[in-house]
Amino acid sequence: MTRVRVLPESARSPGRQETESALSLAHRMPRLVLEARRVAANLAHGIHGRRRSGVGESFWQFRPFVAGEAAQRIDWRRSGRDDRLYVREREWETAQTLWVWIDRSASMAYSSELAQAPKIERAVVLGLAMASSFVEAGERVGMLGLMAPRATRRIAETMAQTLVTDRTSLEEDLPPGAPIAPQHEAILIGDFLTPVRDIAATVEGISARGARGHLVMIVDPVEEIFPFQGQAVLHDLEDGISLRIGDAESWGRAYRERIEMHRAELQELTRRRGWTFTIHRTDRPASEAALRLLTLVAAARGASVGGR
Amino acid sequence: MLGLPLTFAVPLVLTALAALPAIWLLLRITPPQPKRVDFPPLKILADLRPEQETPARTPWWLLLMRLLLAAFLILAASGPIWNPLAEDNSRTPLLLVVDNGLAAAHDWRDRLNLASERIEAAGRDGRTVAVLGTAEASAALELTSPAAALERLRSLKPQPHLQDRGAHLESIRRLLDSTPDTHIVWISDGVVGVDGQGFIDGLAQMTDDQRVTVLKSERASTLALAGIENAGGRLNVRVVRAEPNGRDSGTLRAVDLKNLPLADMRFSFDGNATETSVAFDLPTEIRNSIARIEILGESSAGAVNLIDERGKRRRVGLVFGGTADQTQPLLSPLYYIERALSPYSEIRMGRGGVADAVNQLIEEQVSILVLADVGGLDRETLGKVTAFVEQGGLLLRFAGSRLAAGNDELVPVRLRRGGRSLGGSLSWDTPKTFAPFTRESPFFGLDVPEEIGIRRQILAEPDGDLPSRTWASLVDGTPIVTADKRGDGLVVLFHVTADATWSNLPLSGLFVDMLRRITALAGTTSDVNAEARAAEIETIAPRLTLDGYGVFTTPPANARAIPRSYAERATGEHPPGFYGPVDSSLALNALLPGDKLVPLDVAPLNARIAPLAGAQTIDLRMPLFMLALILLLADTLASLWLGGHLSNLTGRLRKAGAAAAILLASMMLFTSGFDAKAQELGSRRIDENANPALVTRLAYVITGDAGVDEASRAGLAGLTQILSQRTALTPGDPIGIDPSRDEVAFYPLIYWPIVATRPIPPESAIRKLDAFMKGGGTVIFDTRDAFNNRPDGAVSAEGQYLRRMLATLDIPELEPVPNDHVLTKTFYILDAFPGRYATGQTWVQALPPQTEGEENRPARSGDSVSPIIITSNDLAAAWAVGPRGEYLFPVVGSDPRQRELAYRSGINIVMYSLTGNYKADQVHVPALLERLGQ
Repeated sequence: MTRVRVLPESARSPGRQETESALSLAHRMPRLVLEARRVAANLAHGIHGRRRSGVGESFWQFRPFVAGEAAQRIDWRRSGRDDRLYVREREWETAQTLWVWIDRSASMAYSSELAQAPKIERAVVLGLAMASSFVEAGERVGMLGLMAPRATRRIAETMAQTLVTDRTSLEEDLPPGAPIAPQHEAILIGDFLTPVRDIAATVEGISARGARGHLVMIVDPVEEIFPFQGQAVLHDLEDGISLRIGDAESWGRAYRERIEMHRAELQELTRRRGWTFTIHRTDRPASEAALRLLTLVAAARGASVGGR
Repeated sequence: MLGLPLTFAVPLVLTALAALPAIWLLLRITPPQPKRVDFPPLKILADLRPEQETPARTPWWLLLMRLLLAAFLILAASGPIWNPLAEDNSRTPLLLVVDNGLAAAHDWRDRLNLASERIEAAGRDGRTVAVLGTAEASAALELTSPAAALERLRSLKPQPHLQDRGAHLESIRRLLDSTPDTHIVWISDGVVGVDGQGFIDGLAQMTDDQRVTVLKSERASTLALAGIENAGGRLNVRVVRAEPNGRDSGTLRAVDLKNLPLADMRFSFDGNATETSVAFDLPTEIRNSIARIEILGESSAGAVNLIDERGKRRRVGLVFGGTADQTQPLLSPLYYIERALSPYSEIRMGRGGVADAVNQLIEEQVSILVLADVGGLDRETLGKVTAFVEQGGLLLRFAGSRLAAGNDELVPVRLRRGGRSLGGSLSWDTPKTFAPFTRESPFFGLDVPEEIGIRRQILAEPDGDLPSRTWASLVDGTPIVTADKRGDGLVVLFHVTADATWSNLPLSGLFVDMLRRITALAGTTSDVNAEARAAEIETIAPRLTLDGYGVFTTPPANARAIPRSYAERATGEHPPGFYGPVDSSLALNALLPGDKLVPLDVAPLNARIAPLAGAQTIDLRMPLFMLALILLLADTLASLWLGGHLSNLTGRLRKAGAAAAILLASMMLFTSGFDAKAQELGSRRIDENANPALVTRLAYVITGDAGVDEASRAGLAGLTQILSQRTALTPGDPIGIDPSRDEVAFYPLIYWPIVATRPIPPESAIRKLDAFMKGGGTVIFDTRDAFNNRPDGAVSAEGQYLRRMLATLDIPELEPVPNDHVLTKTFYILDAFPGRYATGQTWVQALPPQTEGEENRPARSGDSVSPIIITSNDLAAAWAVGPRGEYLFPVVGSDPRQRELAYRSGINIVMYSLTGNYKADQVHVPALLERLGQ
């Protein structure tokens, strides 16, 4: 008999432990320098070096002064050593913005004895680790509906604090459907155990202006294989529905078919919008999902700038 | 039933077994409680209805368990009995005669089982039962219900005496008269009782031959002890049996009064012999302490033989002419005698004066009377002692200053007044040792150690018969131990004291051996006639009796006293055991010496004879009910498990277990931490104590009053400086101690200033102080109140405090320091002991009164250092110096030399506590006399 447990509400806000494991997971991720999907001059300046001179903070090279240029661009300190005049050029830097959303509804506070960790813990760790990795790679990370994009080094802690102080999203199953800028990307982490049409509406809302995104579905093994037998009363955690089933084993067969269908619909939905869909089981290590997600994000960029 | 030895008491109940299939059906369709599962994906499945609503079946094993449970219950209710007693199915009353005399004790359990089987069988047949224990007192027999008879049977116990079956004939006759068809079952031990064959003859007349069943083993298996004989230095024990029964050997064990085994001996019967004898060949002391002999593993009163105190250890009475100081046992001669004699004899101390003590001891019937340094006895006492000796008592006397001063006629030889000193400071002689013992002496064969030295002795007048009365003499031929016969007894005199003042003989092993040989000479039959006369009238009450299993118990309620001359077998009224007071017990045994066990001949009864083995009837009700109960428990657990409640429970249990483990671990951590702390503390204490043991230092008691404590410390520091300058003593730094906490044994002298406002020290501190003073330490109590005290004024607060504190202490008699006290001479010659004040009186332990010939000694001392010095002069304040050598307190008094005198007092006190009475020795007399200008 597989035992399951439901965590109290307080467990649905990240604590020190989740933040730290997210940081350590981020440290274990390969350093990726993400390609900006589209290079535009009006992008916010970032530390994302483009290996060419341009608008940026850090030094790129000195080049001889060309007559006709604005005299204020001359670097007098360097020019004083020599008879010639030099201009200091900076590297052209751009940054990419990612939006992260973590599902913290009641159904996430769920864990069976087959899992390594509760779903909520895995979701938070994954979200914070991704954010930390991206910021380290020079990107800016925000949280949908909660936090504007920023590139602080302590992004994991900042996000954790934001999550803890926010109580309203504890009831939300899906992110707010407001559209984000076309060159931004969204990462939605949750169990997506809502009817597909609701999810579709949300995804379409977010990508209304052409933004891309990634769905990460966190699944407890019990939710996938339904290992129960005999008579049982099933309880839902959010809506208070309960279902009495006489023979769990036979019911389980129908359930597995049904959940397969649900996933297939989600897959189809994301494919149509050009998003990606990842299923992560909590009996697998978190790094697996993190690595896949990083690869997906990088590949999405690579595809778009592949021609360059 | 079905060829099995199984019957049912209520077979009808078995029909209920037919209901089992119905139970099966019922159980089958009642499913277990569904379990609750939390399951988040339910939301997207709202339309997914269960396909199959059939409840899960009750698991087959649970079904089987419940059916078994029901079956067991039904079976148990039907009262099955395995191996029912094959009994003639008569409905006649039953008389159960059970032998419970001493011969039945060793297999009593089997007999009891057999009897209860019989009664239970009778109960099933609905017969009434009467139970008769043949060793009980005879009483009217009564037919009762089997349950009551079972109670009666359980109350029967094997009795520790031979039964008198004949006494019950009358009651059996009455029972048979009223219910003539009574069937008699006799569970017999096969041994003839007190009445011989009378019971069988009587019973045979009363009964027809078919109504008696005798259950007995083929051969009576009893073993018993009959008689113990103390002859030829050996203890002969007779082991008897009724008839050859295959139990041919075994072990006898001798046990002392405290139940410690002393010796084991094997015994064995030859062939068909019914008695055998075992000899315990043991040293006298061990033989004397044997209190009982038993056959190992027999557990019957007959297999135990008690030995009383008659003629075992000598009783020795000790009387000392002087007064013994209880606090200093080594100075009392009786101490040495008691230590030498106590392993081999029983010591009685005389109380009160000499005459009282002698009277008391003679009344206690001592066989040896020791008079240590007793001079003349008064006429009446002398008469008693003379009578005691002439009736066979042994009088052992030791010399001493009193005997040297004058003696009565109860000495073996005529003595000269005064003593003879050998090897003193004014004599050329050296201490003399013993000459080898002559062949006539009872001490012949003892080795004389080289180091024996006699410094002083009493001399005998050289009479003609002196050599024949001499048991031991010195190398110069003067007798040192003499003896003389008086009537049936002996008078023995040691011409030296029994303590170490005149010789070192009492310290040697030779002394012990000599006293042992003398003890062995003491007669055993002292005052036989008087005892016999007393025995006729004196009755003695039972003190410790044996029960039927041969175990000591308190006497039963029906046990009666016996006259001292009682020499019969034990009976119901007089159970075997010890009678009378501890020191003059009479042992009463179950069998007399010479008794035999005789097998019983049941042939005249013409009865059915069956072996003692029972039918092993087993009532199956209890086991079946137990099985059902266990199944019920298992079923409950299984139901809980199936409903998923057990996992909750185990989770909770696990949590509780974890909590308990954490608690336990933390406790262990705490205790180990505590241990570590304690060890730390202990090591620190040892370090602290290691120093005082290495260096002599002065100590003061920390009173808790900072000013006084600082004054004490500074005072002792000042005295320490002065001591180092002027004397050979270089003490370490003074130390403050807390007597309730610190070990005080390291310090020769403790200064204790009295502060009236502090609480009285705890009892432990007082006891430690007491031990310190008894152990030779000196305490100076300083009340520091001489300034405010008037000679006739009220006692000051400090004085009252001191009195309260010392109230529970064993303080010797005190006196103001006399002029000739050794304390005034130990380093300086002083008149008084001033401190900061000069008016206070100094008190010390009172010296013993001056003895004659010592009047002109300038210094006198007791045997030890005075344990207590009480002053009120505030000594420490006078001694106190600051860090730069300045005096901290002014002295109060007119004499400019007072501070110097205070230091001298301090030096004298320290010297006194360290050297004791050494200055009182004769050697210093000339110098002291010269110094004193006499």
